[in-house]
Amino acid sequence: MLINRFSKYCSYTSPFLKRYMKQSIVLVYVSGLLLLTSLSSCQDDSYDEDPGDRIITLDVPTGFPYPVIPEDNQPTLNRIKLGEKLFFDPILSRDNTISCGSCHLTSLKFTDGLAVSIGIDNQHALRNSMTILNTAYQPYFFWDGGVPNLEQQVLAPIENPLEMDFDVNQAVARLQASKEYVDLFLKAYDRSPDVFSLTRAIANYERTLFTGSSKYDSYLYNNNTTALNTSETNGMNIFNGEKGECFHCHNEYNLTDYSFKNNGLYLNYPDSGRARVTLNPSDVGKFKVPSLRNIELTAPYMHDGSMATLEQVVDHYNSGGQPHPNKSGLIKPLGLTAQEKTDLVNFMKALSDK
Amino acid sequence: MKLRNISFILLFTIVTGVLFSGCKKDDDDETTPAPTPNAVQRFGFHMHSMVGTSAAAYGTTFTDNSGRKFNLADFRFYISNVVLIKDDGSEYPFTNKVILVNPTTNEYDLGDAPVGSYKGFKFILGLDSATNHSDPTTYAASNPLSIQSPSIHWTWNSGYIFMKVEGQVDTTLANTGTPNYDFFYHIGMDMFKRNIDFSTEAFTIVSGSDKEIGLEFDLLEMLSNVDMRTENETHTMNNMPLATKIADNWSSAFTIE
Repeated sequence: MLINRFSKYCSYTSPFLKRYMKQSIVLVYVSGLLLLTSLSSCQDDSYDEDPGDRIITLDVPTGFPYPVIPEDNQPTLNRIKLGEKLFFDPILSRDNTISCGSCHLTSLKFTDGLAVSIGIDNQHALRNSMTILNTAYQPYFFWDGGVPNLEQQVLAPIENPLEMDFDVNQAVARLQASKEYVDLFLKAYDRSPDVFSLTRAIANYERTLFTGSSKYDSYLYNNNTTALNTSETNGMNIFNGEKGECFHCHNEYNLTDYSFKNNGLYLNYPDSGRARVTLNPSDVGKFKVPSLRNIELTAPYMHDGSMATLEQVVDHYNSGGQPHPNKSGLIKPLGLTAQEKTDLVNFMKALSDK
Repeated sequence: MKLRNISFILLFTIVTGVLFSGCKKDDDDETTPAPTPNAVQRFGFHMHSMVGTSAAAYGTTFTDNSGRKFNLADFRFYISNVVLIKDDGSEYPFTNKVILVNPTTNEYDLGDAPVGSYKGFKFILGLDSATNHSDPTTYAASNPLSIQSPSIHWTWNSGYIFMKVEGQVDTTLANTGTPNYDFFYHIGMDMFKRNIDFSTEAFTIVSGSDKEIGLEFDLLEMLSNVDMRTENETHTMNNMPLATKIADNWSSAFTIE
């Protein structure tokens, strides 16, 4: 039909030209078919050969909602694998000595056991290293909430002069010089390393890190009524009741409401906390409420790592803290007995993964 | 020669002839109407970053308002939300167009603007809140909002540094004349964006010629009430009074060339 219509428009052309045109059209048609076939077969092949490109469903702990994941960074095995490699590779620090994993150790539930982290040239970072487990649920990042999403969070430790102290564009240039990385980035994001794909890859990996298999979870989500012993149960009742009032801030599946609170740690805060990013005087001394999951395994405590043990933490809250004007109204003397304090600590220990 | 071949050659000749005569006709025809006037022309700023009467440059030693020597390692700032104000008062905004002014670049293209008479223009030194808190990793490398080297974005308190000036200044009491101390003025955060108003600087955009407005920004004017010996550090949040003082001078630091 196409040929007929074409011939009609070219009615004045010679039979030779007509035949020539017919032949060319047939040729174009055949090559088009071949091209389509080869393209579609390529596509089929890539799906068949590389399941690493498929968007996967993350393995979320029982009782947890599925996290919200940005459209441009849905999880695939290739992305997670690349992000994991980057996370543990010191290539992102100026002198190739510090990786994300240097301050977020798998053996310590992605914290580092130090009061404040040690960065490049043995410098002390500003604050205590927070766990990366369940980070997929964090609505903002760092103790002061200064960064709005996980992808942008990746930039901060790389550029922080106390941590990795590196120009992120130079970090990208290093990755581009590595054939291995270029191949992995092309596989994962269909583009060579750049600031976009670098930040996405690490975030993609971090979103796969969950924690949620504690004794408390068995009790809460698996209806295992004997999961907690008597002391732990008493501790839970103090935690979730009027006596301790802990649940107001440490609640739901990640045992935090992600709010910013001044917990009466100091009269004068050397680190202004949330106020550092909001410039609001009423935010002085406020820090993001941390999750209490694996709390026994992630000492020391507080934004500055100033408390070494859970007993010290309980003593602080039992005392009611310092009378700072921004202190949360929930922080007041609790009048806990020695046994109640022990119960509370035992309950917190039941928040560790089994 | 077979008939079909002859007819093919004939057709080829005719078509070629028509094509060439067409070209010739276009070239020679004196009755062609004048081209339609352009509705728009390119508009931009011709910007000079100055230190008093000298062009700002990295590595050069300058003298501040009190006679102290200093040099510059960084001197960049963002301009956004440029709006042209037409004679009838209506506005022509350059949306989503941001420029990062630096001493080594003079030409900053903003885009097409309608031909006509204008009462003036205005812009923001800094960024509107939405742009300020956008994700810098999503911009193409050519966009001034992408991560720059050196960085002009706060990664720990996501937002851009609107004005970044760094270098060394002589802070010795004796005023020895040798810059010895690192100074830095990093000013950002939503509250520090400043409206720069040239709404009574009339101009016209004429069809057939791109329009450039010449602007100067004088660092010494920006520091007119700042003592570089004692007031030499602000990351904004750690020294709000100094950041405020500097930002409040931005408007007067601009002049039309």
